[in-house]
Amino acid sequence: MAQQTDEKITRLVQSGNIELFGILVERYEKKMLRYGKKFLRSFEDIEDIVQEVFIKAYENIKSFDSKRKFSSWLYRIAHNEFINTIKKKSNNPLYLFDPDILFPHPVSKENSDKEINREELNKIINKYLDKLNLKYREPIILYYFEELSYKEIADILHIPIGTVAIRLKRGKEIMKKIYDQE
Amino acid sequence: MTKNNILEKIKKGKVKMKPKIYFIWRGIFIAFSIIFITLFILYILSFIFFNLRLSGMWYLPRFGFPGFGALLVSSPWVLILIAIALIIILEVLVKRFSFAYRRPILYSILAIIVIVFLASFIIGKTQFHPELFRRAREGRLPVMGEFYRVLGSDNVHHGMISEITDNGFRIEKLDGQVIDVLITENTRFPSGTDFKQENMVVVFGKRDNGEIKAFGILKADREFRNLIRNHRPGPPRSMLFE
Repeated sequence: MAQQTDEKITRLVQSGNIELFGILVERYEKKMLRYGKKFLRSFEDIEDIVQEVFIKAYENIKSFDSKRKFSSWLYRIAHNEFINTIKKKSNNPLYLFDPDILFPHPVSKENSDKEINREELNKIINKYLDKLNLKYREPIILYYFEELSYKEIADILHIPIGTVAIRLKRGKEIMKKIYDQE
Repeated sequence: MTKNNILEKIKKGKVKMKPKIYFIWRGIFIAFSIIFITLFILYILSFIFFNLRLSGMWYLPRFGFPGFGALLVSSPWVLILIAIALIIILEVLVKRFSFAYRRPILYSILAIIVIVFLASFIIGKTQFHPELFRRAREGRLPVMGEFYRVLGSDNVHHGMISEITDNGFRIEKLDGQVIDVLITENTRFPSGTDFKQENMVVVFGKRDNGEIKAFGILKADREFRNLIRNHRPGPPRSMLFE
């Protein structure tokens, strides 16, 4: 069973093999914790929130279309759960409307910074991630740490692919500015 | 640890899978909401087009800048704002689907606006609203009746020239009222000055004591004449044209 795809396991869980849901939890627990820790740095109860993500996934598993990617579906649930946590606990207002999603943007090449030392880039991003606005922070986490594609990030955040590219670009520019100033 | 906690909760029945039917019903509800809101927007916008045509306000921009200003002031803004709010709600509902959220909002908003405006314009030209309007005038349209009775603007009048006078002419309106139209040196004539008895005209100007000092006058085109004839109160249309 360990070699089966997420989607195949999900189909089996949907048909009543509930024990197999544990495999999905095992596969994604670390990823969700890492995503949560980077996204919700100032919150302490990340493990509880991640547990809630898996509970929501189990409750809604029959809405999952196994022709799509399970990981994108699970990250979407996590995104919603993290955003709700921030809404409940943070005093910072969340901006519901973003002009970035209004107009089309040209999509830059996805692996444009492959030639740069990825490890070093991750270190820099990790150091300055906190300084970024949430709308830039999230695509950067998903792209650089979770290693998801633009399309997957677009499906998780429900934004156009061009907007994913522009947020990544702007996020990096902001971090570079801070880096240069220090 | 998370895995054990979750599986324990599942086994104890504290966490339950929602049945497939729940998601099917939710999908049906969203689909019906989208259809209902779309139809409602089409109804409101086509009513606005019909209202503008029947009241003669459609012709206001032909009287130049003042006419355009009067159109802006007299437009049914409450209905327009309701339509805009519904378009925003429709956009939010449609954005749940990947074909919509993967593209910039501008595209989906433009697609919605183009589709609903075209469809409304076409519906506005059919007999749908004229029929409801006729029923409202005959008192056979409960609830929606009042909606159809309050049409038009105070500054736009239309009717048939019943008599040419020394300083203008007299018109008979749709509801049988007779009004004197005064022509001044400032009156504009976008369709010329060749007015005869029984011509259908649209007059732009404020009514005061049974007369209108006309800012502009134009002859109604065939489409407008047909629309007005169909809504003239009194004996059935068949008798009028026998």
